[in-house]
Amino acid sequence: MDNTYTTFKIHPSIGIARLGNTDDDFYLTPEQPGTLPIACDEMGREQKDSKGNPIRVSSFKDSNDLSKIKKQAARFRIFSYENGDTKGEEIKVGGSYNFVYETAVTAPRIVKGKVTDIDWTVHLANKKASWYEFQETNGQQGYAPDHPLRNPEVTQPDLRRQLIIDPGPLTVNLKNNKGAFAKFGSESKKTDTSKYKKVSYPQTFPPSDIQPNAIETLGSLLVNEQEKNIRLIVLGGNGNSGSTKTPVIESFVNNDGWFDDISDGPVTAKIEYTFMDTVYDGDKEKKVKTTGTMDVQVPAWVVVGYPRYVPEMEDMITMDEKMYDLFVRKMAYDPQVFGVPPFTKATNSPKTPEEFDIWRNEAHYNPDYYPKFYKELWPQLRRPDDFKYTFVFDFFGGGDPHNRGTGGNLDYKTLSIPPKNEKDPYYRLRQFVYGIMRKTDQLNAYEVEGNYNLTSNKPRLMPLLCGDNPLTNTAPQKFLSMTETQLFFLKQWANGKFVNECDEWGESNSSCTNPWANPPTTGIGIDRGVLSNVLGGAFCPGGELSWIVDNPAIYSEPYRIKHATYIAGGLSIPQPIANKDGSTAPNIAAGIEPGDLTKYIGIPWQADFHECTFQNINTTYEKWNNIYPESIGDPVEQQIAYNIPWWPAHRPIVVPESLNGSQVYWASGIPNNNAGDLQMVEAWKDLGFLISEGEGITRQFYQVERNNEALGDPVQPGNRVLGQSFGESNKENNSN
Amino acid sequence: MSGKKRKISQYESVKEILNSLQGKTVPSYQGLHAFWLDPEVFITASLYGQRLIAPKANNTSSETKGCCGSKDDSHINIPASQPTKKSDGCCGSQKKSSDTASQQPAISSVQQPPIHTSIGDCWPSGGQGGGGGTHPPVYKRSDQSAIIKGLKGLYPFDGSIFPKLLWDAIATASTDQIQIIANWIDADCPLTLEEENSKKEVHLTTSNNHLALANGELLHPVSSNTTNQDHRDNKGLTIRKEVSSLSPEELGTFREALNCMFQYTDYWQDERSFDYWARIHTNSCQHGWEQFTTWHRLYLYFFEQKLKDYDQDIALPYWSWSDYADQNKNTFNNKEYDLGVLPEAYGCFLTQKGLDQLKNQKTSEGKSILTKKEIAALEKIVKKGTIYNSGLRFLKAAGIPYEIINVNNVAVWSDKIRAIYNTLKEINPLWFPNRWPGSMGPLSHYPTKDDIDVLLSLDNFGDFGGGPSYDHHYGSLEKVHNGMHNFSGGTNPNYPYEGNTKWQKIYADLGLTIDPQNQENPIYGWMTDNRITAFDPLFWAHHSNVDRLWARWQELHNGTPQEMNAVLAPWSMTVQDTMSIQKLGYTYMRDSVFYDVSSKVGLVKFNSAPATISTNTLDTHRKAEIKIHRVQRGNLPNAHIRVFLNSPDATIDTPTNGNDHFVEEISTFHGSCYGGPGHCNLPLDKTRNFDYRQLHHHEPRNYKINATDAVQRILNNGAKNITVQLVIVGIDGKPIDNAIYIDGVSLNFMD
Repeated sequence: MDNTYTTFKIHPSIGIARLGNTDDDFYLTPEQPGTLPIACDEMGREQKDSKGNPIRVSSFKDSNDLSKIKKQAARFRIFSYENGDTKGEEIKVGGSYNFVYETAVTAPRIVKGKVTDIDWTVHLANKKASWYEFQETNGQQGYAPDHPLRNPEVTQPDLRRQLIIDPGPLTVNLKNNKGAFAKFGSESKKTDTSKYKKVSYPQTFPPSDIQPNAIETLGSLLVNEQEKNIRLIVLGGNGNSGSTKTPVIESFVNNDGWFDDISDGPVTAKIEYTFMDTVYDGDKEKKVKTTGTMDVQVPAWVVVGYPRYVPEMEDMITMDEKMYDLFVRKMAYDPQVFGVPPFTKATNSPKTPEEFDIWRNEAHYNPDYYPKFYKELWPQLRRPDDFKYTFVFDFFGGGDPHNRGTGGNLDYKTLSIPPKNEKDPYYRLRQFVYGIMRKTDQLNAYEVEGNYNLTSNKPRLMPLLCGDNPLTNTAPQKFLSMTETQLFFLKQWANGKFVNECDEWGESNSSCTNPWANPPTTGIGIDRGVLSNVLGGAFCPGGELSWIVDNPAIYSEPYRIKHATYIAGGLSIPQPIANKDGSTAPNIAAGIEPGDLTKYIGIPWQADFHECTFQNINTTYEKWNNIYPESIGDPVEQQIAYNIPWWPAHRPIVVPESLNGSQVYWASGIPNNNAGDLQMVEAWKDLGFLISEGEGITRQFYQVERNNEALGDPVQPGNRVLGQSFGESNKENNSN
Repeated sequence: MSGKKRKISQYESVKEILNSLQGKTVPSYQGLHAFWLDPEVFITASLYGQRLIAPKANNTSSETKGCCGSKDDSHINIPASQPTKKSDGCCGSQKKSSDTASQQPAISSVQQPPIHTSIGDCWPSGGQGGGGGTHPPVYKRSDQSAIIKGLKGLYPFDGSIFPKLLWDAIATASTDQIQIIANWIDADCPLTLEEENSKKEVHLTTSNNHLALANGELLHPVSSNTTNQDHRDNKGLTIRKEVSSLSPEELGTFREALNCMFQYTDYWQDERSFDYWARIHTNSCQHGWEQFTTWHRLYLYFFEQKLKDYDQDIALPYWSWSDYADQNKNTFNNKEYDLGVLPEAYGCFLTQKGLDQLKNQKTSEGKSILTKKEIAALEKIVKKGTIYNSGLRFLKAAGIPYEIINVNNVAVWSDKIRAIYNTLKEINPLWFPNRWPGSMGPLSHYPTKDDIDVLLSLDNFGDFGGGPSYDHHYGSLEKVHNGMHNFSGGTNPNYPYEGNTKWQKIYADLGLTIDPQNQENPIYGWMTDNRITAFDPLFWAHHSNVDRLWARWQELHNGTPQEMNAVLAPWSMTVQDTMSIQKLGYTYMRDSVFYDVSSKVGLVKFNSAPATISTNTLDTHRKAEIKIHRVQRGNLPNAHIRVFLNSPDATIDTPTNGNDHFVEEISTFHGSCYGGPGHCNLPLDKTRNFDYRQLHHHEPRNYKINATDAVQRILNNGAKNITVQLVIVGIDGKPIDNAIYIDGVSLNFMD
């Protein structure tokens, strides 16, 4: 027998569920970028077509009620890895693996056992109300002692902890296959059949009378068996947000008294197995069927976000790309891209903190790395063209700067051709495209520097999207740039160092233009595919997650959140308050607790989401967002970059009403002000989704399932009617 | 063509392999498509920055490896005029040492050669240890080639940057297929069969003729290898030859090694630096007692070992003084200094390249340092190829006046002289500027052959080699050696010694104080001063001769030094350890000619081509020896080997009695060999560090045959050159072709 035990890992490493308000109808999170969610049955079993491919949903609401959005469920599976294998394989009931068997009286030993069941344990929590105020970039480097807290009047540690929504952990398996993160005694808890449902826990929930919507659950769990695979389904909250006070919205991100039912938390599992053990009765040898359990060594995390209204449109930077950049530069994830020469895995395997220090000091991008056009370059170049279906680019002059068609700036037919036989006809075009990409040291620059054609406007730096802080004067980052690694790929490309996969290994790969054409089968493929549908910036505070993802300390390994140990009912609270009685204070180095990833996001989420349309950015001074020339009578000529969008794929602004239909405001019926933000607390469920039709450059996005009964008919740009202004975002400046 | 299967060239097989692997579909390969079909593309093109076939080794070995493994193309130029002030050392280590005033060299090596070229790392090494090493000890062209890395799936073709080659192919390459391609690349990519054959080494072509050679029908040619490669290949000792017997190639390698050592001059604590070695003499040399012989033997041994790190076939040559006694007779009893004659290898001469270099040198005013007349004179010298025994004599021949100038009250060469000397030194690192061989004394102190014979006839070690510490005195060998130091260093004719009014005036005009120890214009050559003598490369040849004479004396006599257990600092070896040069791995020969013989075929008759031996060697050698190398023993019939000289037609019937050409008959004595399967096979090479076992039973053995008298006889008979014949006779007196298997024959001459 093999004498090494099997390594088990949960995939995806970070699962994404999304809020919804239907009672039990849901679908599964897509595992490929820009793809529709996967249809499933009531237990979360994936529906497949005759070829075994997942069936996609294209209806996101209750079939009878356009004010009911289906939840998106996060599905988790366990993969086994034998002997350094990196691809892994999903485990099955009855499958045999090498388990570590250990009892209270025996030393651990390796036994060949057969899987019988899996105990899945998840612990969701929401810490938003208990956390600090979000103040743009301030806090990324730690919070000053006087950094304001949300709900600042709550300063007693136990009361502060009451601001956390903590339903406690749930354990489910094939026999006890339903769990609810609901308040004991609530209606939602009645369906709970989870393993330890009778065990009490010091739950904390918001008062039941918060307005407009009470929160009695953060979601639920299911376990299903499909083709012998035992899978966990995590469902998030119902989209309920409410305030303990008269509900008003005063800020896009910090609103005291408010709660919402967003959450996140750890996902762990214990595999139950049986094996034939040899025991001795006197000197008689007997075989006894014995049951053992073993913890999955590499656990996962689940994050609940709000609905993905345009599931097929990729964000300018995906969370996968954001994290990949971090892991490449800080964790030796892909040494052939970034490492210490000779850039091989063998020479780039830091393990200890000291080795990481040395590695980070010496590593750099590999000048001989050849990025792949369709895998590493084209996604960055093709995405902006899609945004014309969620945003009107040039209000006054037309123009099609992101045109992917023949002769366009971003025509793949020319951009994809590497130098051949020392001839490089598109060198200048690539240099131009790379030249207008905003570099990481140009986050506050609006236009390309240097002598461009003086008779016309200087080209704008791209992407022309809002950055992590276009609002206040603390560490401004007015605009977004692609990640350092993406920019490195572009630089190699501009210099002719890239490979067109279809030229070289296209014949054996019919989907050479889309590395994500088929559902991923490897664990890491699922991890990355899931994250590719999460917003990867800008983080002000962000979409599902905020800038905390940029901190390497929160990861135990690439793509894995480091789990903290914590005690029941003792989740951490901000340090100044924890210090009062020795309560647990946050400690990123020790790990992440339930609720720690989503606590940075705006509360309630609807406010920020509604406001993230576009922004006028003052570019007069690079280092200042807010300037006060009038206070000293300074006749400075102010420069404003008008209408800079936030996340056009995540929060649509202007959309086609139907296929080939006219353009309308997506949020028609919800005014662009604090009152509209408050309205959004209810109206989010009435908004339409966008689906696509066609392929390549003829692919169009259009709106479906908008609840006009609740929101009124959509309004076209230019048609100004009451409350339908197309004005700028009123994300206020937070320089208090 | 007969019906035999057509033999195809390596390149044809390479193409066939790659075609079959690729199949019908050929991807773009960055526009190269089926790159292997066009040899020019294949050999020169890169695929996404990866050179498909690495350039030839000599193109890359000149690539400079920077400090600490970084590939730094910036060359560090060291100005020759301020050698010790450089502070930008490698990894800070050098910086430390030159920051410390106390570690400044006591003797500045201004006269060491200029470093026009970069101080890259010219010295071979085992590659960088400790990670990040990028300098493999052996450069294999195929290993560096993308096609091989790609087919093997090695980085970057391991899927990290590119998939394995070939792309979109129907099959992956087998190990054998990859090896065929690698072999073709390592054979420098011959495109046709003809090219392949011409590239094969000589011994491969002769392999076709094994039988003809073994039967004496073809002449065994003189080996074209260096002496030490042949002897090493046959597990023999290192041969230190008389310097005039070095082949141009051997002399070239020796000079190259020294030039490389000079590149580390600033790193004088680095063992690869010549100064490191010269300085040991300064600090530790033993003179005037019995350790003179022993200490210098080790000194030479360790220096030679260092040189062997550079090229394992380097050996220190020796300078047989008495060979030059006749010539030097004329240079004595004269009124002039600097007239002595030294081995040509140590003289100075100008090459066209050196002249071009000098022509390009400009003074600070931008003028050429040489006048037209001087250039014309130098061009003549280059054309004639004259070798001069001293720099002054070279300058005189070129009509260039020797000049010194006053820099901070120190006499130094003028820029022009420095430029010329630098060039001469670069051309021949064995030449040394402060060397004015000759003497105004009587001839009696220059050793003749007779003097040496008298010296060797001394019958006790004390008289010959000196006394122990408690009764110390010079030995005769050392006394002779002293005289040769002084002769070779000589007196500087351009020093303002008493009576040299010309140079006294020059010094006075320049306002210079007279300083006999001045570095560039001293009163005597550096060979005369035991503090700095080893900086003159001639020192090593001189002392090899001293060592040789002692070794010869040891052959003749039994005496030893008295304090045999004394340690010879700075090494940790004792006097006892120096008693056998063979044990130290070397021996002395005036010259050696080697004939490679194939042991694959039983020898019937060995018939050599004429030995390439200088007339001087034939005239002056003391002893001639024929050595039969590596005669196999396992389970072979016994036989006789009859050795003849200059008898190409010798057969089994050629008379031996009364035949001037007959040298000796030797008999082998093997008997039968019995054991398990393979017992009688040749033993493995002894390569393990701690294998102290005795000589293996089946290790092939050597025969040494003294041919001195026979050589003398045929030379007396008017022979101008020498050939060797071995005729194999069975012990039954009949021809036999399965008794004698040997690896080589050498004809060796000893002084």
